[in-house]
Amino acid sequence: MSVAATRRQSLWSKAAWKLRRDRFGMLGLAVVLAYFVAAVGVWLGLWATGWGDVAGGKWDSVSSEHWFGTNLIGQDIFQRSIYSISTAFEIGLIVAVLSTLLGAVLGAMAGFFSGRATDEFVVWLMGVLDSIPFYLLVAAIAFALEGNPWSMHVAMISTFWITTARLVRGEVIKLKGLEFVEAAHAIGVPEYTIIFRHILPNTFHILLVQSTITFVAAIKSEVILSFLGLGVKDGMSWGLMISESTFEVLAGFFNNFLAASVLMFGLVMAFSIFSDALQDALDPRQVS
Amino acid sequence: MEVLQYSLRRLVAGIPLLLGVTFISFLLMVYFGPDQTYQLLGKNPTAEQIAEIRAELGYDQPFLVRYADYLREVATLDFGNSNSTGELVTDLLARTIPVSLMLILPGFLLGNLLALLLALLAAHYRSRWPDKGIMAFSVVGMSISYLIVIIAFQVIFSSSSGLGWFPVRGWNVHSLAEYLEYVTVPTLATVFVALGYNTRFYRSVIVEELNRDHVRTARAFGVPPAKLLYRNVLKNCLIPIITRVVFTIPLIVISGALLVETYFGIPGVGKVTFDAITTGDQPVLKAVVGLTAVLFVLAQLVVDVLYRAVDPRVSLS
Repeated sequence: MSVAATRRQSLWSKAAWKLRRDRFGMLGLAVVLAYFVAAVGVWLGLWATGWGDVAGGKWDSVSSEHWFGTNLIGQDIFQRSIYSISTAFEIGLIVAVLSTLLGAVLGAMAGFFSGRATDEFVVWLMGVLDSIPFYLLVAAIAFALEGNPWSMHVAMISTFWITTARLVRGEVIKLKGLEFVEAAHAIGVPEYTIIFRHILPNTFHILLVQSTITFVAAIKSEVILSFLGLGVKDGMSWGLMISESTFEVLAGFFNNFLAASVLMFGLVMAFSIFSDALQDALDPRQVS
Repeated sequence: MEVLQYSLRRLVAGIPLLLGVTFISFLLMVYFGPDQTYQLLGKNPTAEQIAEIRAELGYDQPFLVRYADYLREVATLDFGNSNSTGELVTDLLARTIPVSLMLILPGFLLGNLLALLLALLAAHYRSRWPDKGIMAFSVVGMSISYLIVIIAFQVIFSSSSGLGWFPVRGWNVHSLAEYLEYVTVPTLATVFVALGYNTRFYRSVIVEELNRDHVRTARAFGVPPAKLLYRNVLKNCLIPIITRVVFTIPLIVISGALLVETYFGIPGVGKVTFDAITTGDQPVLKAVVGLTAVLFVLAQLVVDVLYRAVDPRVSLS
């Protein structure tokens, strides 16, 4: 028997080993971490502090002073696009964490009580929210909350939890038939303890992968919502930069558009590749 | 007969969904939505004028009465006149829905058919370079925002700094040539974005089927690859494919074209609905949301009946 086989192997240690061997996945993770460092720098006030200052003329071209040039009113595009990284992480993290939590709780309850009223209600709610077109729902929530800066987050969370909940529900239905749940029932563990302490931790791999997918979806939705005037209200984001640029590109000035698109593309692509690698590594059918 | 019975049962089962969708959207869009009283009044209105307008808009009624009225309107398809333009809502929809359909259908069909072809190709050459190339392309396609694609394509194909082949914006369609002129750039953008997501989805469905025993057996019996992919794989994949396609239809009819319509200034139903939300044009909103919900229930029914058509093992009871 080899040394590797005698060592204790869990789903997680195997997955971590597999993930580390995935070159593209690790590259994606490295790029995401680089973006994250940029975002932390913005939060700490180390750089991109002058994103709102008028520092040059209209549409200055690329120079050593303004790395990506300036926009219509002379603000530095490089600083604005770097500042937007922190906005993207704020939106992505808030939406991913909260919608995953909501999806986990509702999905687990629905799965555990499948066929009963709780389940019927959650399934009905998922069907209903799925049937309202996303952008209409966001617009409606934005107006119902009357310009609240969090209306975009609320709208995304209220739709993004659904996929997570569906997956968790399916997994919980599978898990609740297993012996360890039966054993917990037999020794009189309360139902909610069984759901949240015994069953839900076993769906953690789904939650992890789903939260990375939601993170990417949130960043992408922000761009479109900000363009429609429903997104970021104060501050700066890639969506606002792109909607600024819609007038500029037809006049032949592309710096704003390119800076925001390329930076966003880099983050989304790196995160998606990492998310795929994570999914492959955690897929129990593939862990051998 | 069996299908008819089943359909009726499914329609009845769709009622809770209809109620839910109409209730939540009514709550959000109408009850908490923008108040139109002062937009419709002149300057310095008297208290009676305000009360009169509010009565006309139904604002003075209790919530449940207004909701019940709404349900009656959905059932009879009588939504009244748009508050903004005064046009009959059904006329407004009859005018704008065909525009949206003409705009989005070519991209929808091409996006799905091309994706299916690419997915078959990728699955056939699994883990070899055609597969890796197609999947890399699809990840890239998925990572670019729809909005960015639209802007970039407009600059490349329509603007004076690009090729300038197509009109920059608008929708002035009277003949096939004009139609092609206006629809091409939005279609290219839609297909580009849809290809990434669709190819990936279809590939995973096809690969799963390829791993099954019956496919290996067929291959062992020497069925040629093209025939194998069509007869043994594709036909067995139809259920997830149908689900995906049919459930997208209600969304593309109502909102799928919103971004393209807004950006290219095309008077479709997505744009009309969006404007209705921002101005609080309740008759239009009620109509659009109610009809979307109805379409979803119908889509569910269609999906179930199609399941039966493509897979005799599925029973309709």
